[in-house]
Amino acid sequence: MILNRAVKPTPNKNILFELPQIEKFRLQNGLEVLFIQKKKLPIIRLSLIVNAGSKFDPDNKKGLSNLLAMVIDEGAGKYSALEISEEFDTLGANFAVNSNHDKIYLILQTLTENFDKALELFCTVVTAPHFSDEDFLRQKRKTLTHLLQLKDDPEEIADTVFSYVLFGEENPYAFPTSGYDDHIESISVDDIKDHYKKYLTPDNSTLVVVGDASVKELIEKLDYHLGWWKPEGLHFKLNFNTKESANQIFLVDKKDSVQTEIRIGYPSSRRNIEDFFSKLVLNTILGGPFTSRINLNLRENKGYTYGASSSFGYLQESGFFIVSTSVGIENTANAIKEILDELTKIREGITDTELEFAKSFLVRQFPSSFETYRQISSNLTTMVIHSLPDNYFNTYLENLQRISIKDVNKAAQENIFAGNLSIVIVGDKEKLLPQLTSSNFGNIISTDYIGKATIK
Amino acid sequence: MDLLNLNYEKYKLQNGLEVILYRDNELPIVTANIWFRAGSANEKVGKTGIAHLFEHMMFQGSVNVPKEMHFRFIQEAGGNLNGSTSTDRTNYFEKVPSNFLELILWLESDRMGFFIPALTQEKLANQIDVVKNERLERYDNQPYGLAWEILISSLFPKNHPYSWATIGSLEDITSFTIEDVRSFFEKYYSPANASLVIAGDFDPVEAKELTKKYFSEIPGKNHFEELQIKPATLTENKFIVHKDNVQLERIYLAWHTECAYSEDDAALDILTDLLTGSKTSRLYKKLVFEQEVAQEVTAYQFSGKFAGYFVVIATAKPGIMLTKLKEKIFAEFENIKKNGINENELLRSKNGIKSGFIYSMQNIDSMADQLNSYNYFLNEPNSFNYDLSRYENVRVENLLNLFEKYLSKPFVELHVIPETEG
Repeated sequence: MILNRAVKPTPNKNILFELPQIEKFRLQNGLEVLFIQKKKLPIIRLSLIVNAGSKFDPDNKKGLSNLLAMVIDEGAGKYSALEISEEFDTLGANFAVNSNHDKIYLILQTLTENFDKALELFCTVVTAPHFSDEDFLRQKRKTLTHLLQLKDDPEEIADTVFSYVLFGEENPYAFPTSGYDDHIESISVDDIKDHYKKYLTPDNSTLVVVGDASVKELIEKLDYHLGWWKPEGLHFKLNFNTKESANQIFLVDKKDSVQTEIRIGYPSSRRNIEDFFSKLVLNTILGGPFTSRINLNLRENKGYTYGASSSFGYLQESGFFIVSTSVGIENTANAIKEILDELTKIREGITDTELEFAKSFLVRQFPSSFETYRQISSNLTTMVIHSLPDNYFNTYLENLQRISIKDVNKAAQENIFAGNLSIVIVGDKEKLLPQLTSSNFGNIISTDYIGKATIK
Repeated sequence: MDLLNLNYEKYKLQNGLEVILYRDNELPIVTANIWFRAGSANEKVGKTGIAHLFEHMMFQGSVNVPKEMHFRFIQEAGGNLNGSTSTDRTNYFEKVPSNFLELILWLESDRMGFFIPALTQEKLANQIDVVKNERLERYDNQPYGLAWEILISSLFPKNHPYSWATIGSLEDITSFTIEDVRSFFEKYYSPANASLVIAGDFDPVEAKELTKKYFSEIPGKNHFEELQIKPATLTENKFIVHKDNVQLERIYLAWHTECAYSEDDAALDILTDLLTGSKTSRLYKKLVFEQEVAQEVTAYQFSGKFAGYFVVIATAKPGIMLTKLKEKIFAEFENIKKNGINENELLRSKNGIKSGFIYSMQNIDSMADQLNSYNYFLNEPNSFNYDLSRYENVRVENLLNLFEKYLSKPFVELHVIPETEG
């Protein structure tokens, strides 16, 4: 029999995927725990999610929360900074502290056989950090040098300036998590201690656990190690006003750049169950996967870039839409024009084929988002950040399947070109200005590396 | 360790394609991972970057798969896909729900066997533009982005295949013709020069039938040019200064070592960890933590099929001279040679490596790629335990010998300094 290769094979059976069960419980001190048992490998992964991200940084102390994250594991309990690191290494455990605008994350990955010892260390870092002058000053100097290094990175500059101009300087999301050098200079070790005392409490945190353990065992061990970590009963409220402004181009001069970083976007709704799935399908068609409209146009058709994509970004209290790409200098204005055209076109409606493709992509990739311990942990973390309902993953596929062309077109109307457009360009100003002035995308405002307008 | 002893099946089709099957039905997903035994080492001076550009062309469709549809079919199935090019090989992989195994075997076999007739000048011109942008974005426009290219071109002689970067030079990338692409395909892209791993949730009988159905009719040659590469050495130290658009000065020191899986390969890996792998590692602790003369320090060991090298990279804090960093790095080497390495230090590194093996088993794609890698280098896919034992067998004296054997030989010293300075 001769094989007819022209016929695309289709599946002859369905797959069976069982969602892992989420267990939710509270410790004696009130700390909420979300747990998924996974026994495939002898691994346990823990993430403590603390509601203490940089959005809580005081006005004149941008960078405080990040610095707290940098110094919290530099000595705790009976261990010095080097001893903590040495102990985790001896166990073959990975421990890291990260922060972003919303949260500080303390993350541990360990083999099951070393769980007890690793957990003790982890809990010591959470509950008994030293914050010694010496450790604090060293990490402060390291952070200041790091800020200097960020000036080298065009992608980082573009993202920083985009947040700044998108949210406007009244908004806590406008500032980079890593902060500003003059603010960091003024931060003292007492600021760090106060911030820790105020925010790192069990009632302001959630623990996510994935791996080879049981509920009973976790409750016992966590109550034992975290028993004397006490709630403070404080609640935090912030204002998140976004600014009003006209369509504008923000140009950051990076002399001798050989490419141009482009960010285009505007504010959008925060994550909510009503429009999340229609926005997800919309973006899958517009700029999510490789074969979405924006990438096919800019990369596979025009050859302007190595890649272009769009996404709806979700912060806990806010949302935005962003298109990101990096293009050859000579094609900067062309690329912006193509992106704006794609945004105009998507508002004219999508096709049945596009809807079916997007839903098929999203529905069928669902099982593989539960493969690694990290992925499962990050799914639970998303539930925590956005206060998603307990049955969120159980109803995920139904919610997706329900999306119609009408829903997607409505989402396009509501979310694309709905607010004030901000275009951020990082590149060689001298080479870019002639293209940009003749293109008429909007007012051109020159800014520095953090987004503040510079005077001509 | 039982966990690292994998049950697999390996066989060859008549046209020479190696097939490796590894079952893991934890989740209803399956992956295919193909290695072609050709990478940038198979290029010539003046044609650098063809292996990587070729990889891009493999996503541009084949006789039965129109442009863009390779991506679209896999994404429609909820899958993800990519490829990568290294010095020694090129790989292509996709992961889909397990009922789409036939789809990906159809797609992979179509481009393995029926690629050339679908090749057009238009597709090539487009991907040359894309790859040019890739190079500009990921190398030329990155801080310190050209350092690696400068380093390897100084470490290896001009005709050594590790002397150029996999991405290729901008000049070479823009010069490629259809003929270059075709001849690269004809030289290296045959079933007998490839191995296919299928890993995840599948029925072995069905997988074998499908593999036979789609791959067995692909013709191809059986003999491939074997590269004969003479070991490279430096006869004297080389010193290079490169100006870049950066804030901080950075020093790179590079020595020749040996090929992958050679006698000292594992010990050299452990040495990188002992020097810079953690807060308590020798160079990190001294330079970054205690003295604060460096913002960061990294040791890295590359070992490939034809050569290896060991690199130490340190970024100076503002106001610190690179010559001072260099002195301190060598002083620590002397200190280790004189006072030795503590058994606990070595144990920490080994424990990290051991748990790293287990952590890396979480993901079926990386398992499939590792099976192909062991098969390529060791001709035995199930080499996880052997690989781990290479590290467990390293003793303090093996580590100390490395200084005499490699790190006291001539080296390349590269300084990257801000453009505004002299």
